[in-house]
Amino acid sequence: MNYSAGFVLGLSTGVVCLAYCGPVIVPYLMGEGNTIYKNAGSVSLFLTGRLMAYIMVGLLAGIVGKTLLQPSSLKTVLMGILYMLLSVLLIIYGFHRFREICLGRSHLPVKKSYARRWPFIVPLAGGFATGLNICPPFLLAITGAMETGDIARSAWFFIMFFLGTAIYFIPLPFIGFFRKQAALRIIGKFAAILAGIIYLYKGIIMII
Amino acid sequence: MKSKSFYSTQGSIWKSTLLTFPMILLILLFVAGGRPDLSTPEKSIAFLVTFVFLTALFFLILYTGKTDRYRAAGFITLALFFALTFIVNLIRERGAMTFNQENMLACEIPFCHIVTTMIIIPALITKSIIFPGSIIGGFAAIASMLVIVIGVSLALGRGFCSWGCFYGGWDDGTSRIMRKPKIKKINPVFRWISFAVLLIVALISAVALNPVYCDWLCPFKTVTEFEKITSFTVLMKTVVFVSLFAALVIILPVLTGKRIQCTTLCPMGALMALTNKINAFDVRINKNVCNNCENCVKACPTLSLSKEDMAAGRPSITCMKCGKCIDTCTKHAILYHIKGTPVDRNFSLARNLFLYPAYLLLVIFLGGPMQTGIILFMNLIKTGHLIN
Repeated sequence: MNYSAGFVLGLSTGVVCLAYCGPVIVPYLMGEGNTIYKNAGSVSLFLTGRLMAYIMVGLLAGIVGKTLLQPSSLKTVLMGILYMLLSVLLIIYGFHRFREICLGRSHLPVKKSYARRWPFIVPLAGGFATGLNICPPFLLAITGAMETGDIARSAWFFIMFFLGTAIYFIPLPFIGFFRKQAALRIIGKFAAILAGIIYLYKGIIMII
Repeated sequence: MKSKSFYSTQGSIWKSTLLTFPMILLILLFVAGGRPDLSTPEKSIAFLVTFVFLTALFFLILYTGKTDRYRAAGFITLALFFALTFIVNLIRERGAMTFNQENMLACEIPFCHIVTTMIIIPALITKSIIFPGSIIGGFAAIASMLVIVIGVSLALGRGFCSWGCFYGGWDDGTSRIMRKPKIKKINPVFRWISFAVLLIVALISAVALNPVYCDWLCPFKTVTEFEKITSFTVLMKTVVFVSLFAALVIILPVLTGKRIQCTTLCPMGALMALTNKINAFDVRINKNVCNNCENCVKACPTLSLSKEDMAAGRPSITCMKCGKCIDTCTKHAILYHIKGTPVDRNFSLARNLFLYPAYLLLVIFLGGPMQTGIILFMNLIKTGHLIN
């Protein structure tokens, strides 16, 4: 996997990120009732939080990939199996309705007093928490990052993954976009199934 | 209001004839270039049959007030004659339906409108077209197809999928085989699958710099052209697209009565659906007249109508403007509509204004293949061979 693959993985699964973890930032934006300009600032902070989370996970995945996976003689087979398992998970995820472990989903983990003192911390922390959304696309991204076998490249992979998903957050300042959220969620699910089929094929090819 | 004369042309021979007359001129212009080729008996017969067929269909649409019934006749004919003439042309040119690496290197692969969904992002990034076809000149050149796609998108939106697409007639036809479908309840969320397909194929094509839908998925390769089987991978591709054709174009449409391939797999349909927002025509429900019988929901071949859509007074963005729901509604509560105008007024004008560009599109695509197809059939009768 190269960097563009990280970007494409982000693009193809970003609808899911927007549909499920987007509601963390949307109520905040709506509650604040700011102008599009100020909303754009909040969305930028939210995305910065996500980026921080992604870089952290990217570095960890790189360390695991370099120390555990890379030295193994069965690296390709292991990666193939991992891809197959995760792609099956992605397909199941597409078909079933279960809630992701999205850390920022239920409430923003920031006390109101802090929020009043540093208003920027709410979208920033929300972005960081949702960035650690343990959903199948995120796990697939971890697999891709580990496959690089290098800490810096793994972090870059996650930065590209972030850029891919971030594109879907661009329309957020124009809150009306979210009226079609239900359709987006369904499209995201179907896209997850299709992406799962593609990665399943990739996993099979790696093993063969 | 009498049901029989809901539209101004309905039941009136004079009005229907008068409004058919401009279309006769357009048919003459687009089918024969204004000057029919009557140099041989075969060509004369082919022209006359095509001309009468196309004129009669348009007249009947106006006279009976039924849109989908006669549209479908032309649309299914288009799919069949297009496939026939395309295959015969390939066999004449190449000797087979298959193409090989040489044909690809020589950019001899005809460009179909579905590829548009896969070339946009790579064209922006690499400034090149990732398809082995001719940019200008020759049969089905990329530039000419793009002009048609953009023009039709602006004029009709996803109406293209029911009036001009030379593949759509396949599952439109098979979905009509059984009068009562075996599978009746289908969740309308399936109408969103094609958007996911669009998203995935556009992205993967951009990374792989290869039109993956054409390469792996397109079911219509079964009735047009496909890669010569020279490896296990190509064999796999062949199994995939033939299976998809059998499942999505034949079996499921027959069982459900829905256009399953167009609704769920076609990325071009999803792209065209987005253009439904920017053209002048749409389909609307007059909620003052609607009695919520839901016959339109059952009839819609693309799952574009649900209870929620009825409450909203319009079908979903995925509507192909085929007119089946309009034909089905006994209360005339569903109508072709011009955006920005009242739903319950000028419905005859709105319908007529929609019908001219939509039917003209069908004429443009059907005219040539139908004449060629008729000549081929006459050759078959005379010589016993379809191809000389």
